[in-house]
This record gives sequence, structure tokens and C-alpha cells, in this order.
Amino acid sequence: MVLETLALQDSGAVEAEPGDMRQNVEPPTAKQSSRSGPVSPSNLAVAALALTTAACGGGGTSSGTPPGPGSTAQARKPQSDAEAAQFILRASLSVSTAEIANIKSVGFEPWLDAQIGAQIGQTGIAWLASRGFDQVTAANYFDNEYPGDYMIWNQLMTGSNGVRKRIALALSEYFVVSLTGLNFAWRSQAIAHYWDQLNARAFGNFRELLEDITLNPAMGYFLNTQGNRKEDTRTGRQPDENYAREVMQLFTIGLYQLNGDGTPKAGANGQPTETYTNDDVTNLARVFTGYDWDFTGNVDTLAVGSTTRKIPGTGYVTKAMTSDFTKWRSPPSSSQHSALAATFLGTSVPANTDATAALKIALDALFNHSNVGPFFARQMIQRLVTSNPSAAYVTRVANVFNNNGTGQRGDLRAVFKAILLDDEALAPATRTDPRFGKIREPMVRLVQWGRTFGALSTSGNWNIGNVSDSASRLGQSPLRSPSVFNFFRPGYVPSNTMASANGLVAPEFQLVNETSTSGYVNYMTTAIGSANGINNDVKAQYSAELAIAPDAAALVDHVSLLMAAAQLSDSTKAVIRQAVEDVVVTASSPDSEKLRRVYLAVLLVMASAEYLVQK
Amino acid sequence: MHIGKLNEISRRAFLHRSSQLAAAGAASSWAMGLAGIGEAAAFSPGTDYKALVCIFLYGGNDHNSMLVPFDSANYDLYSAIRGGGPGQTAGGITPARASLAATVLAPPQGQVLTNDIQYALAPQMTRLKARFDQGAMAPMLNVGPLIVPLTLDQYKSSNLVANPRPAKLFSHNDQQSTWQSSKPEGATDGWGGRMGDLALSSNSNALFTCISATGNAVMLSGTQALSYQVSSGGAIAVNGIKRSLYGSSKGSAALNTLMTQAHTHVLESDYNTVAKRSIDAEGVVSAALSQVSLATSFAPAVGRNRLAEQLSIVAQLIAARQPLGVRRQVFMVSLGGFDTHDRLPQDHPGLMDTLDFAMDAFYRATLELGVADKVTTFTASDFGRTLASNGDGSDHGWGSHHLVMGGAVAGGRYYGTAPQISLNSNDQVGQGRLLPTTSVDQYAATMATWFGVAPSELPSVAPNIGRFATSNLGFLG
Repeated sequence: MVLETLALQDSGAVEAEPGDMRQNVEPPTAKQSSRSGPVSPSNLAVAALALTTAACGGGGTSSGTPPGPGSTAQARKPQSDAEAAQFILRASLSVSTAEIANIKSVGFEPWLDAQIGAQIGQTGIAWLASRGFDQVTAANYFDNEYPGDYMIWNQLMTGSNGVRKRIALALSEYFVVSLTGLNFAWRSQAIAHYWDQLNARAFGNFRELLEDITLNPAMGYFLNTQGNRKEDTRTGRQPDENYAREVMQLFTIGLYQLNGDGTPKAGANGQPTETYTNDDVTNLARVFTGYDWDFTGNVDTLAVGSTTRKIPGTGYVTKAMTSDFTKWRSPPSSSQHSALAATFLGTSVPANTDATAALKIALDALFNHSNVGPFFARQMIQRLVTSNPSAAYVTRVANVFNNNGTGQRGDLRAVFKAILLDDEALAPATRTDPRFGKIREPMVRLVQWGRTFGALSTSGNWNIGNVSDSASRLGQSPLRSPSVFNFFRPGYVPSNTMASANGLVAPEFQLVNETSTSGYVNYMTTAIGSANGINNDVKAQYSAELAIAPDAAALVDHVSLLMAAAQLSDSTKAVIRQAVEDVVVTASSPDSEKLRRVYLAVLLVMASAEYLVQK
Repeated sequence: MHIGKLNEISRRAFLHRSSQLAAAGAASSWAMGLAGIGEAAAFSPGTDYKALVCIFLYGGNDHNSMLVPFDSANYDLYSAIRGGGPGQTAGGITPARASLAATVLAPPQGQVLTNDIQYALAPQMTRLKARFDQGAMAPMLNVGPLIVPLTLDQYKSSNLVANPRPAKLFSHNDQQSTWQSSKPEGATDGWGGRMGDLALSSNSNALFTCISATGNAVMLSGTQALSYQVSSGGAIAVNGIKRSLYGSSKGSAALNTLMTQAHTHVLESDYNTVAKRSIDAEGVVSAALSQVSLATSFAPAVGRNRLAEQLSIVAQLIAARQPLGVRRQVFMVSLGGFDTHDRLPQDHPGLMDTLDFAMDAFYRATLELGVADKVTTFTASDFGRTLASNGDGSDHGWGSHHLVMGGAVAGGRYYGTAPQISLNSNDQVGQGRLLPTTSVDQYAATMATWFGVAPSELPSVAPNIGRFATSNLGFLG
């Protein structure tokens, strides 16, 4: 597996792919993987979705929501701007006054259905191409990560599909691939395709998404399925265990047998029971052998200025990895898939099962494990609504995962609707319970700022870059988790805090420390109010805010509503208003003075704990 | 509504824990550990100084590539398992034997290890080889988390009550936590922080007892001691508070108010507690660091060394120990990238070079500051890795080799028991995943003893220590 990787990342000579008939074969498109048949469950789900969307204006029944809390929520409408904003800020990346009016008119569920049903806009891959980042030029885009950062900021800061992208971002923190360390040609396209797949499958079926992710070219590199070879009894070489372990621990079943509410099952002697042993890992590892990138139809191009370095086309990072070794960059003489039997979690793959059939058996077994519903449900609730959901809330969402009401398991559309429309999420108590909510993730804050205040990119590149540094930037950058364990762990308990004393977890608090609290405010101070914007490129317009800047109270209320769902206390708003009024402004004042008011209002809201904790 | 019950909840948690301790039985070291809780007279009064510095290697270091068998017989066994080339040349994940000649660690006093194995450091680690020869560095062989000593038969036993083992072995996040705290993910205190608990009263500014120059980790949190975080550049000031905010001094005052005011919501309260601590401490730390002059360079000849950058700020903080008001400190720094399932021959040498340069630079700094014998640096990691190869990498293991360095280290020799170079010996649990022969509790207790923790208080730092033959492995005199 070294060879394929080296061939792409090193500047040394690379064997030319002999021109052959494969070049004439039209590769599958990015959106439709070669494995998806025309009648796959996800395609059915898409069709059903369209029907549902069409029907929901009349309040018709919605597939995916079983009787219970959801059915009462369907008729429910926000009773205030604050309730509307609270809901939208969980479901989406930002909120506008127009959307607040809309959801107050149509109600929570119809609004959500319309958002879910909206056509997917420009993909990350298409955007990279539109900016020329798919071209072999002297800039060697293929060797750089920065187009990937441009891509994701463009995706998050612009365009429609706020709900779909918010869900995809949550999924990117569950099925984690990190751009950091993707060391192969066209890494930015690879992370874009991964992002595009999360977007495309966000409201599809978990089983389909699991397979997409398993065979995703970037994931293949990240967790080493790409180039993973079968055992060699002569040399003692073993299959790589990385994906086998993490697909169980992180993507499907977790470490402990779970009850339906996500709590560990007590086994004999009262201790939790582990879901798998190391033997399960070494056996399952055999299933993920024999895969590599699919170079079907590849045409190399010489790197600019090189007479030897052949750069493959971008196609291989947008196609599912394949066990058909004739499609690999350097085809071996035989299959690299293990022929050994594999037994894991009580499931057996017989000896000599081909790779595709073995994968189906394995992913089906993982998908159908009773842990998946509560394991996934709890973490998605944590990402979108609250760090400490009740057992009953987890149970309700897990039940929807297990059965969407029409017998389908793993219907993500139904799962995310159940999370957002649950009584526990919509209850007025969410705004007063001192334990409810979660810390807004730093990257979500920046995206919310950009979308809310009309940020534009002067260059068109959305040059925000990698903002992972906590001392000078956000301490978190989208699609740049430090490892597959995400930026923070779902069970993280900050030491010596009120949270720990009250028995609460606070995952996002893993990013909070004496450096990051200052670093974040400093970064936002510049982002919000510098003359030329972030990196002299990304700058907010504040057009609506300029118009109301002379009225300090109105300005603060407006920013409080759009950023914090009007959850700032009167005393906090008073502190901010007094600071804003320190800049004397009338309707005829120059914009530069009005902007100072806006900057103060936005920064002070974003620095306040009542904003930082999303309730 | 739960706020008012805070004290009650804390008290109940304490009682619950106490009853758990009691239930463990009088023979258990836990019972002794109670003696240390709430008492803070661990260290004798005085003006001496000691610091421990944990270098955490995130991802699970391939210890087999950091300490490689060099004697011909064991090298050949290693090469056969790890795909080496013919005639002791490089191949698979095996370096050429000749490349190891300059970094052989030969104890000047002579030391016979298992199967007469001789080790060499990774070829990049020439600086630490020199420190070994000077007696300032020692490898600790096959150390890992254990609850009780375990033989292979006991490990295989289904009687987990008689033969308890750490939970969630081989899992990154849980074994990181277990190494640092003796408990899997979700733990709230680690052994660095528990040492810090005992040191709090020795320091006039308790906040600077436990300092992390890397991200949040449980290692440095105690039951009372806080983990204070600094960046490689020092403490970060809030610019909008130091100066006016968008030209407004009222704006600046408002920002200060909003970042530091108390809240009733649990998470809001906790967030502002950290922000306030950051603002309060920044002035003290920045003022103290401004007086420091340190000539030692932490910059490599080429590129950046992020571990050295972290150790640079640690060295500066140690230099500023008097204005900071500290006598006992525990620090943590880290280096990531060790999860070498793939590309081990490409990636691991660079990591070893980074580690070698950074540890050596830090040691040079302690020499310059005249505190080399007062500062002990040690490595830790999620776990070791398989001796077996998957072609171009290795997989998650358990026991691992580690390095201890400093003027107080009785270096120039090995500690612990060398494992056999084998995939089926009784010191490993499959594919060369080492069954630890030394526990992390022993590793921690040895350092705690040097740090000044009394024998009676060791169990509060290393909860399982009473189950092991010795609490002092001897590498610190």
C-alpha cells in the first residue's frame, strides 16, 4: 500500500498509465456512486421526500414521523420571534428575519420539510472547478490543502441549504475525515467529495451513508482501507485494523452494549459489557482488505515545470474505492482481499467470500446492531440541541432510527426531524433550565456571523483558511479535526466545574481553555471590525444593521435575536447598549461611525456567555 | 435548579467515592489513599523547586521503531516479523541494521536484558543517545496501564473479578485517559493533577501548579488543582480589554464585564470562569515572562518543531518560577501523529527527530537555567503498537517503551523488563501487543516520590500502587 500513496505524493517519476480502453469508459458521476443501483433505498427515499414536500403545505401526513411527540409538533407554530429563531438556529447555520416570519406563518415541521426538500445547490467539487482549482497549473493545487479550506468556507458561508449543510457539518463530526494530513494528489477535491457525500446523504439512509463513507477515497486514506492488503502467512503481515476498529467504536456501535436510551447495559457483576473484543477487530479487518482507489479512465498530466511527475486526473478522489484490482493505479496480479473466514459480533463471513459480498455482510451486521440507534441519536442531539438530553429524548429519537414509522431503519430524514421537533427541544423550559443547551462550536459561530451579516469574499476564494490555532484563531476549523475522535468527545467532562459537580458532560468544553477564550474574542474582534475583513478578503456588509444603528436598543435587540435567539438577558443587553451608545450616532452620521456601533453590538453579543451557550 | 444542590451533590459524590474505596477492602491501597484527601501538607517547607514534564505522544507511539533490537540475533527476529530486507537491510517497517549503529544504547556498567537484547534508538535520535551516554536519559521498558500484575494466563482468564484489567484496552481516547488518570474517557482527574493537589499549599500561586502547553487533557486536573493552559507564545491577552474596543473605552469595559460576570446557567458559569481566569492570570504570567531571558534555541535548523515550541514556553515558565510563586509544578506538552497504521517508514522517523530535538533542547535549557536536576521529563502515549506489521504500519497495542530524562535521572541504563521479540511469547497478548510488565502506577509513583509525595500519600496519586511489588522503580535515584 505504500506504492500507490508514494506514487501520488512524491515528486519523483511515476510510471505512466498505459493508455487503454478504460479511458473511453465514462466514469460514474460524483453524485451517483457506481454501486448505487437505480432502485437503492436512498433513491426511494429521495422520491418519497419529494412527494412529502409537495404534500406538506396542506399539513398532510409526513413519512418518517411516527405518532407521538412529532404529530403534535406538526401543527405547532413558534409563538414568538425568539422561539422561531431558537428552532432555526439549531436546524440551520443562521437565521434571518424573513425566515422567522416564514416559520411563524407555516409552523415548525412544514418549514423544516421545505428546507429538507430544497434542491441541493452547488457542490464543493463544482465550486472548486468553477474557481479553476481542478487545473494542473504552476500553483500545484493538487498538492495543497488550502483550496479545501476555501471550499468548505464557501459552502458554509454562502448559498441555500442551510439546514442540509448544518446536518452535514454535524455528520462530519461523527464520520470524521480530516483535511489535515491528507497527503495525496487532489486532497482538496477529496475532502470536497467527502463533504458533498455527507450533504447528499444527510437525509438519506444511514446504511447507504455508512457504505459511502467506508469506500470514500479520503476516508480510505485517513483510516487506511485504501491499499489495505490481506494477510501474508509467509511474512506474518496482518491486515490493517484501523478502519475495522473505528467503524465499530465511532461510526456504529460504540464500546459498550447500550440500552435503548443510550445508557450502558449493566452486565454480570453490574459492570458495562463491551461490545467487541480484539478478536472481533482482527476478524473484521479482513473484510476491509483488498480496496484501493479507482483509477478508471484516468489521464495523467505532467506537473508544470516537471518532465517526470505525472499528476493523475481528479476523478479518482471522487469515485468509491474498488476491490476490482484491475482498476487500481498499479494493478497487482491478484485480489488483495482476504480469503479467510471472518467472525465478528456473532456474524460470520465464510471463507472465500468476495469483497463486495463480505462488505455487505459486515455493514449490514453493524447497521442492524441495536446500539446504532441510541449511539447515533445521542450524539446528533448533542451536536444540534443539548449536551445532556434526557434518556427519554434519546429513546424517542433512537426509536425513530430503528423504525421511521413505515418500517424503514436508519432513515436520517426522520431521525433529524425527530431530534429537532422533539417536545424536549421545543419546550419553553429549554430557555430557563440552567443545565439545558450546549456551547456553540467556534466554527459554527463564525459561519453564523458570516451568513447573518452578509459576508462577501473580495477575491471570491473565501480565504478564511485553517483557523485551528486556538491562540490566534478559533481553535477549530471545519473538516480539520485533529483525529477521527473529533474535536471533542461526547463524554467529555471538564474538571472542577459546575458541569462536573452536577454530573453533566460538556463535549465542546474540551475546546475551552485560558488560551481559546481570549483567542476567540481577539479573532472575532478583527473579523467583525477590520477595514478589509478576514485575510483582506472576507468582510461582512451589515446593511440591515447600518440602517438601525442610530437606535441602539433596536440594534442590540436585532443582533440578540439573530445571533442568540433573543436569549440575552436584560442586564446583558443593557451593558451592550450602553457601550453602543458611547459612539454618538444620528441618522445623518457617516457609515464609518454607524459601523462602529454595529461592530460593538456584534462583538459584545458574540463574546457574552449567554450567546456562547446555545439554549 | 440543580445549582443550589451543588454542595450537596459534591458531598454525596465524595461519600459515594469513599464508600467505593471502603468496599475495595482494607488490603486495597485505596483505603490508604483516603489519608491524602483533603490534606495538603505533602511537601516539607522550603524554597526548593521541582517540576515534572509529561510529553504525551498522541496516537500510540510505535515503540518498536523508537527502540529497535540491534544485536544480530534479535534484529533478525525483528526483521523477519517486520518485513526487513535480506542481509539486515531495510524493508517493510524495518530500518537497516547498519543505520542503527550510531544510536546503540550500551549501558557503560553493562546490563543483561531478556535474550541478551541490545537496543538502538531510532537513527534520528542521536541527541538523546548522547544524553543516555551522559547518564541523563533512561528507557523504561514495557510500561502500560494495569490494575493488578497480570500473567498471560490471567489475562486470558474469564474471571475478571480476580484478574481485573483496564477497561477499553486498545481504544485511543480511553487509553489516553487511562494512562493519564487510571480511568477511561470521562475521568476528571489525572495523576499529574493529583500530585498537584498535594502541592497546592507549597505554591503561593496555586493556579500555576499544573500548566498545560497543549490542549485540554485530564492529566493535569486534580480534585482541586486546575489545569491552567498557556499557548506556545505565553498567556493570551484580550486585545479589546487591554486597549479600547473599536475606539471605545466603554466598549472595552463592557467586554470585560461580559467575559467575567457570573451566571446561573451551568455552562455559562463554567465558560466565564475560564475566561475570567484567563484575563486575571494573563497579566501575572506576561509580567513574569517579560523578565525571562533564555539563550537556548528551540528552533530547528529547518522548519518548525511544535513540540519544541511548547517546551520553550515551559522552560520560560520554569525560569519565571519565583515571580510566579511556585515550588512544585507539573507540565504537559504533546506531539501528535503517532497513529502509524500506514506510512510508518515515511512518518515515524520525522516524529522521532522532532522528539529528539525538542527533548534535547529542553534539557539544554534546564542546564542553562541551572535546574537540570530539578526538572524531570518523561514520555507517555495512548499505547504501544503491534510488533506484527500490516505491510507499512502497525496496529494498536498495550505496553510500550518510554523515555525519562533529566539531571535527576539515574540514566545510562534500562529500567523494567525487555519483552521478547516474538509474536507468541507469554509477554504479549497477540501480534506482539505487549502485556505490560511495569504499570503506569509504578511509573507515576516513582516520579511522585521524587517530587516529594510521601509514601502514605502515593495511593492518592497512583490508585493501584498497593497491588504492585514496588512503588519506586529506581530511575530517579
